[in-house]
Amino acid sequence: MDLAIEAVGKHFPGVVALDDVSFEIRPGEIHALMGENGAGKSTLIKIITGLYQPDGGRLLIDNKESRFASPRDAIGAGVSAVHQERNLIPRFSVGENIMLENLPTRRRLVDYEAVHAQARRFLDLIDPSIDTRAEVRRLSVAQMQIVEIAKALSLEAGVLLLDEPTASITDHEAQALFAVLRHLRSEGKAIVFVSHKLEEVIALSDRVTVLRDGKVAAAGEPIARMSRSRIVSAMIGREERTAEIGARNAVGGVPALEVSGLTTSLGHREVSFTLRQGEILGLYGLVGSGRTELARALMGDARILAGEIRLRGEPIFVTDTPTAIRRYRMGYVSEDRKSEGLILADSIRANIAITVWRSIASGLGLLTRRAEERVAEPLARRLDIRTPSLDQQVGKLSGGNQQKVSIAKWLAAGVDILIIDEPTVGIDIKTKAAIHELIAEITRGGVSVLLISSDMPEMITLADRILIMRDFVLVGEIENERRYETMSRRIMGFIHGEIDMVDAKGQAEANHG
Amino acid sequence: MTVARRFFTQEWSALAVAIAIGLATLSALSPAFLTEYNLYVVLRSFCVVLVVAFAQMLTLAVGQLNLAVGALGGLVAIAVGGMMEKLGLPTGVAVFVGLAIGVAGGVLNGLLTVRTGINGFIVTLATASVFTGINLGVTESIPFYNLPPDFVAFGVKRFFAVPYLLIPPVIAALLLALFLARTVPGRYLLAVGGNPHAAELSGIPRDRIVVLAHALSGLLSAVGAILAEAQLGSAQPTIGADWLVISFAAPIIGGAALTGGHVSVAATALAVVLVVLIQNGMVLAKVDPYWVQFLLGALILSAVGLNRFRAIRIERA
Amino acid sequence: MIASVDMGSSFRLKAWLAEQSNAIGLAGIVLLFWIVFASLAPGFISPFNLFAMSRTLAIDTVIGFSTMVVLATGGMNLAIGAIGVCSVMFAGYLMQVLSLPGPVALAGGLALGSLLGWINGFAIVRTGVNSFIITLASASLFNGGMLILTKAVIFNGLPPTIAEFGRMRWDVVSPLLLVALLIGSALIVLFRLTALGREILAAGANARAAELSGVPVGRAIVIAHTLSGLLAASAGLMLLSRLGAAMPSVGQDWLLPSFLAPVLGGALLSGGSVSVVGAMIGALLVTTIRSGLLILQVGNFWLQLFLGVMLLLAVLLDRYRAVYAERRSLGRRI
Repeated sequence: MDLAIEAVGKHFPGVVALDDVSFEIRPGEIHALMGENGAGKSTLIKIITGLYQPDGGRLLIDNKESRFASPRDAIGAGVSAVHQERNLIPRFSVGENIMLENLPTRRRLVDYEAVHAQARRFLDLIDPSIDTRAEVRRLSVAQMQIVEIAKALSLEAGVLLLDEPTASITDHEAQALFAVLRHLRSEGKAIVFVSHKLEEVIALSDRVTVLRDGKVAAAGEPIARMSRSRIVSAMIGREERTAEIGARNAVGGVPALEVSGLTTSLGHREVSFTLRQGEILGLYGLVGSGRTELARALMGDARILAGEIRLRGEPIFVTDTPTAIRRYRMGYVSEDRKSEGLILADSIRANIAITVWRSIASGLGLLTRRAEERVAEPLARRLDIRTPSLDQQVGKLSGGNQQKVSIAKWLAAGVDILIIDEPTVGIDIKTKAAIHELIAEITRGGVSVLLISSDMPEMITLADRILIMRDFVLVGEIENERRYETMSRRIMGFIHGEIDMVDAKGQAEANHG
Repeated sequence: MTVARRFFTQEWSALAVAIAIGLATLSALSPAFLTEYNLYVVLRSFCVVLVVAFAQMLTLAVGQLNLAVGALGGLVAIAVGGMMEKLGLPTGVAVFVGLAIGVAGGVLNGLLTVRTGINGFIVTLATASVFTGINLGVTESIPFYNLPPDFVAFGVKRFFAVPYLLIPPVIAALLLALFLARTVPGRYLLAVGGNPHAAELSGIPRDRIVVLAHALSGLLSAVGAILAEAQLGSAQPTIGADWLVISFAAPIIGGAALTGGHVSVAATALAVVLVVLIQNGMVLAKVDPYWVQFLLGALILSAVGLNRFRAIRIERA
Repeated sequence: MIASVDMGSSFRLKAWLAEQSNAIGLAGIVLLFWIVFASLAPGFISPFNLFAMSRTLAIDTVIGFSTMVVLATGGMNLAIGAIGVCSVMFAGYLMQVLSLPGPVALAGGLALGSLLGWINGFAIVRTGVNSFIITLASASLFNGGMLILTKAVIFNGLPPTIAEFGRMRWDVVSPLLLVALLIGSALIVLFRLTALGREILAAGANARAAELSGVPVGRAIVIAHTLSGLLAASAGLMLLSRLGAAMPSVGQDWLLPSFLAPVLGGALLSGGSVSVVGAMIGALLVTTIRSGLLILQVGNFWLQLFLGVMLLLAVLLDRYRAVYAERRSLGRRI
C-alpha cells in the first residue's frame, strides 16, 4: 500500500508544528523519520494515524485522496502504530490488549482461547517470556512497550509506524524487533521508523526523511546516500551547532548541591554528583532514562530511600515541593510547561508572581495587582517577553514566550539552584538562542543550574560538565570541551554502553591530576 | 493455586468474609433472623437495590457519575403505573414501554454528555431535575394505587423464602456479568473506562460506547423502578428518591474504580447483600433506622480508604 | 516590549468588560423575567413579595457561595445540605435544650459547620479520592448522625429574637440580604485580593503547576472545604431565623440551586475561575423564577423541570464560550 501526504500543515495556538510537509511511504521499505525534539515527527505520525486532522494539504492512499477523521479510519485503511506514550488498558490482560482492535469471537462471545493463542503468536516474535494472561498494569515499562509492538503487529497492517520503539527496551529485544521488521518488509509491508538513534536508523532503513522545525530538510533519501554527518546536518541545519553564549566565568569549585548515593522510590540507584556554584551541569539521557524523575525527587516529589543531599555543605531533607522552594531556594522548570509549568488561563503577571505570593502579600494577607506587577514587570522586561500587557493570558503566548514566563517565576523567587528540564522543546531557533543566553546569564548572577536535556547541540552549547544517565543510573560524567563532533560521540558512547564510567573517571582524573 | 488461595486473592473475599461473619452474628443474636419470613423480607429488599446498584455500576465503568438513576426510575415507575391504571394497557405492554422510557432517558444522558463534552455529573444532575419535574408534574404527587392484580401478585408471591421478585435481578446479574466479561461491546465499555485515549487509538468508538453505558444504566433504572412498583403494590412518585447514595455505595464498596475501567458484578452484588443484611439487622434489633444512613456513609468512606490503601501498596510494589 | 501604560490599561478595560459580559448578560435576563412576571401577575412586584424574595435570595445566595468556593478548587461538595441541617439542629439544641443565648448558639452552629467542612477537606486531601464520593459519603454520614442524635425532632421553642430577626423588614428588603451581601463582599476580597484566595484558585486551575510553584495545594483545598462548611452553616442559620424553628428537613433540596447560581454566574466546573457577582446574579435569577412560577401558580413541580433545563443551558453556554474563546485565539501568535 502506498501512503503519502502532500503539502500538509498543522498548527496549534502559538506554534507551527508542520509547514508544507510532504512525505511518502512505499510498500516493501523501511522508511526512517528523523528530527530533533520538536521538529514535528510526532505530529506527523498523529496525522497519519488519524489522531489529528491536518490544517492543509492532502492525504493519499494508493494515489487516491483520503481522510482519516479518527484512529478508526486509519486502522480501517490498514495503518497501525506504536506511539511514543503507552496506550494500553491497565486492567486488561496482555493478550486482550494485543488483540483489542480485533477480538476473536465464537458465537457472539469473546473467544479467550483464541485471544491468548493469537496474542502469543505475535508476542513470541519479540519476547516469549511475557505471559499473555498477566495484567498489563503489573508489567515493567519495557514489557509494556513490547506488548504495544506486538499489538501493532497483530493488525497485520499494510503500513506500520513505530515512534521511538526501542526507547525502553534492551538491545536484545531491539534486535528481535528489527528481525521482525525486516521480515515484514520482505512481505511487502511499508514501515515508518521514527528514531533519533543514528546507528539503528543507518543499520535498518532503506530511506530516510528528516524534519527540522516543522519542515522537510531531507525527503526520502536513500540511506546509502546519507552519511551520518549528512543526516545530522539535515537535523540541525549546519555542521557545527555550538553557539557562543558569552564568556563563562571560571567556575569556582564551591559545591552548591552535593548528592551522594541517592536511591529513590522512582527507581534511581546510587546516584552521586556535585553541582558547583554558578555552574551549568548538564544531565543528558534519552527519554525514559530517569532524569525528570531525578528532578522530581530533588524537589520533594518522590521518596528518597537511601543517600544524602547536601546544600552548601549542610544535609537537607526535602519533604515536599513547597519546602524545597521556600526553605532551600530550589526551583524546577518543568519539561511540560503547558500542564506543569504554567497556569495557562492566568495572566503573565500571576504566573510570574505565583512563587512569591506569600512573600509579597501585606501583613493582612492582601495581595494587590500592584504588588504582583512590581515583581513581574522588571522580569518581563529583562527577559524580553513580548506582550501588549502583563494581563495577557499565558495560554495565548508563543511557546518561546511561555517558556520565558516559566523561567521568570523562578527568578522572582530568587532561587539559588534551578533545575531546568528540556527548556527549548517546540521553540523556534531565535527564541531558543535567547533562552540559552538567558540561562547563561542566570548563572553569571550566581544561580547554579542543573540542565536536563536530550538536545545534543543545546547540551554542548550550555553545559560546563555533562552527566549521562541511563536506566535511572548515572553512567558517565565528563567535562565539556565544546567541540560538537567529539562531545556528541563521547556522550552517545556512554548512552550505548560503549564507554565505561570507570574509564571516564580515569580520564577526568588524568585531566585534573 | 489451592482453592483457599484463589479465594483470598479475589477482591471480594473481604466482603464475603464480612457477610459470613454478619450472618453468623445475626443468627446467633436474633432468633427471628433465620425464619422463612425474615429471609423472604431480606431477599425482597435485595431485589431493587441490586438492580439500582448495577445501573450506577455501568456508568461508573466508563468513568461517569450518574445522578439521574433515581429520578429516571421514579419517572418510569409512574409512567408504567399510569399506563396500567389510567390507560388500561396490559401489564406486558406497560412494562415494555417503561423499559423503553428508561433506555430513552439513558440515551439522552449519554448524548448530552458526549455531544457537549460536559461532565456527566452535571448533565445527570440537570436531567435528574427534569425527570423529577415531569414526574411530579404528571402525578402531582399522587400515587397510582389501582394496579393490575397479577402485577401486584408478582411482587408478593414466593417459593418458600424466595420471592418471585428475585428472578429478574438474578437474571440481570448473570446477563450483566456475561456482558462485561465476554461480549465485545462489554469489553469495549471497560476499555473506554480503563483508558479512554488508548481505547480510541484502538479504534473503539468511544462516544458510542459511553452512550451505550448510559442507555443500559437507564434500562436498569427502569427495571429497578418496575420491581419497586411491584414490591410496593402501587406506583409511588417517590420511588427512586433514596436511590442515589446506595447506587454509589454498593459498587464502591465492591471495589469499583472511580475513574472507570474496573467494576465487578459479583463484588457489587455482595456489597448489596452486606448493606441489606445491615439494614435487616437494624430492624430486628429495633435500632434507630437512621443508623443505616450513617453506616452507609461510613462504609463508603472505609471502602474508599481501603481501595486507596491497596492502590498505594500496588504502586509501591 | 512592555507597551506604554495607555495600551496596558485599555487592554485591562477590555479584559474586564469581557469578564463581566457574562454577569451583564445574566442581569439582562433577570430584568427580562421581572418584566414578564410583573406584567403577567402584578403581585410579583408587591412589597410583600419583594420582601419574601429578598429573604429567599439571601439564603440561596449563600448556598450558592458554599458550592462556589469548592468549585474554585475544581471539586464539589455534595454535603452542603447535610452540613446546613447539622448546624441548624445543633444551634437549635444549644438554644432550646441547653438554654444558651442566641449568639452563642449561632456561633456554635457556625463552628460545627466549619468543622464538618474541614473533615471533608481533610479526607479529600489525605485519601486523594474524588471530592464527589467523599462528600456523598459524608453527606450520608452527617445526615444520619444528625438524625440519630436528634431523633428528628423539631426545635420550635427557640428564643423569640431569632424568629423576629427573620421577620424583620426594611421596607421591601430583609436584613438577611444585607448579611448575604456582606458575605459576598468578603468573598470578593478573598478571591481577588488575598494570597489565600489566589492559592485556592490556582489549585483549581492547575493543581500540579501550582504545587510545583510552591503553592500549598493540599492546605488550600482543606481551607476551601472548611469555608464551604462555614457558608453552608450560615445559610442554614439564616433559614433558621426565617423559619423560626430548627427542622431536620433543612438542606434536602439545596444541591441543584447551589450549583446553578455559581455556574450561571460563570464559575468553571473544572475549577480555577469563579465570579462572586455572577453567582449573586445567578441566585437572583433562580429566586426570580421560583417566585414568579409560584405567583403564577404554575406549580412547584414544573419548577424542577425548569431548573434542570436551566442548568443544562448554563453549562452548554459555558462550554460554547470556552470553545469560542479557544477558536478566536488560534492563529494569534504573540
